[in-house]
Amino acid sequence: MRWFAVICKMEMRLFARDFFGFFFTLVFPVLMLLLFGGIFGNTPVYNGADVKMMDISVPAYSVMVIGVTGLMSLPLTLSGYKEKKIYKRFDATPVGKKSIMLAQVLVNLVMTLIGISNLLIVGKILYHIQIKGNFPSICVSILFSIAALFSMGFLFTAIGRDLKSTSLFCYLFYFIMLFLSGATMPDMLFPDTIKKISNLLPMTHAVDLMQGTFAGDSLSLHRMELFILGSVTVICTTVGAVLYRKKDWT
Amino acid sequence: MSQTIVQVENLNLTYKSLYAVQNVSFSAKSGEILAVIGQNGSGKTSTVECIEGLRKPDSGLIRVLGKDPWLHRSEVYKEMGVQLQEVEYPSKIRVEEQCRLFASFYERPADWNLLLTQMGLDDKRKHPIHKLSGGEKQRLSILLSLMGRPKLLILDELTTGLDPEVRQNMRISFENIRKSGVAIIMVSHYLDEVEALADKILYLEKGKQQFFGTQQGFREYVKDRVPQDEWEENFSLEKLYLMIAPKTTGLTMEGIL
Repeated sequence: MRWFAVICKMEMRLFARDFFGFFFTLVFPVLMLLLFGGIFGNTPVYNGADVKMMDISVPAYSVMVIGVTGLMSLPLTLSGYKEKKIYKRFDATPVGKKSIMLAQVLVNLVMTLIGISNLLIVGKILYHIQIKGNFPSICVSILFSIAALFSMGFLFTAIGRDLKSTSLFCYLFYFIMLFLSGATMPDMLFPDTIKKISNLLPMTHAVDLMQGTFAGDSLSLHRMELFILGSVTVICTTVGAVLYRKKDWT
Repeated sequence: MSQTIVQVENLNLTYKSLYAVQNVSFSAKSGEILAVIGQNGSGKTSTVECIEGLRKPDSGLIRVLGKDPWLHRSEVYKEMGVQLQEVEYPSKIRVEEQCRLFASFYERPADWNLLLTQMGLDDKRKHPIHKLSGGEKQRLSILLSLMGRPKLLILDELTTGLDPEVRQNMRISFENIRKSGVAIIMVSHYLDEVEALADKILYLEKGKQQFFGTQQGFREYVKDRVPQDEWEENFSLEKLYLMIAPKTTGLTMEGIL
């Protein structure tokens, strides 16, 4: 399996050389945290509220990181590889295209975890954020959010005929979810109509789950979010896998 | 004693009910160069992609070193190297990184540092591949096909994009590779190259096999099909091909200027 380590190392290097992926996964969420932290500090969300701004911003921006890797970086890279016939070239070696697809998923997973860690470190040092949740619950919420958004990205790649059409799905869903899910601004500030739309988006449930478990909620309080994210994962992965098999890779 | 490396019997491949390849049969032995010739769209690439395990044939038998390439692709590729048409690489990957990556796929990879020198790419090893010229990319593609020290080498339009001097060097290189016992299947539109290298020819027309055999056999095949008063014994392979190939219509530029 030495070859798989070499592919992952190479994909990691290529990720680091891609300004878009690197900046929006590792730098931009921290800049957002610094910007809003500079404006609001870690003050209560509204007068008398128990919840503080930075305490809910860190898990929300963490979902933003998952969105960048899962809905943009992963599907756009996979779709670009298909268009450039890189899968075909890998199929013409002993390791096959699945190896580079799996490496892409792993690299994006690692970069997501690094991006979330950056937010936690900056939040803790500069704004003394309180993480009241237990470690296993937080890990489960991160994994469910990653699984749901990565599988959506996988589905976009499977649906898109080429890089252009995949990009359309990615940009459309990423930006709609980014602004309407509570990942960039607290959803408690949304009017009712926007809230109804927001509830239809998987990323909203990822934000709710992450914010809840970071604040100390037990997972049983978030069964609905877990169910929705789990269902999105199963549906998108299954449909994506069926469509992928039907694709002409040559 | 030469070993049969590739065996193809009654290969059929359709795309949306249209025959791309119909009843094609041939074989290639170790140390042999087989050239696949024919017009654009005649089924050359489809045929070799079936041997490469990249397309599943509708029917027929294909064995590469005794194995079915569609079912045992990973095993087959340990001993088969291919150079594909129109392949790109991940943006920003460098030449030596691509070589190191491909070398890791094989238990006993070729010395790619030496290959880089032999292919004239030594000074390009730190260059991003997307900044290489067309000819340099083609040479890199050939280098990567040799990485696993293959027993079967499939080259799809090997010298397209290369300048005449490099093409000449490539011919010498592939002559040497053949002498080491490697079977080579080449798809080419350069018939001077085919004439210089190929032991056997597979000639396809609209997906159907018209001829498979030696160059001398092809000469006799053409001789039987052209008027005797037009025949000369010293015709080049290109001339023979042009005599027998369907005439392409609609490419005239008369009246444009």
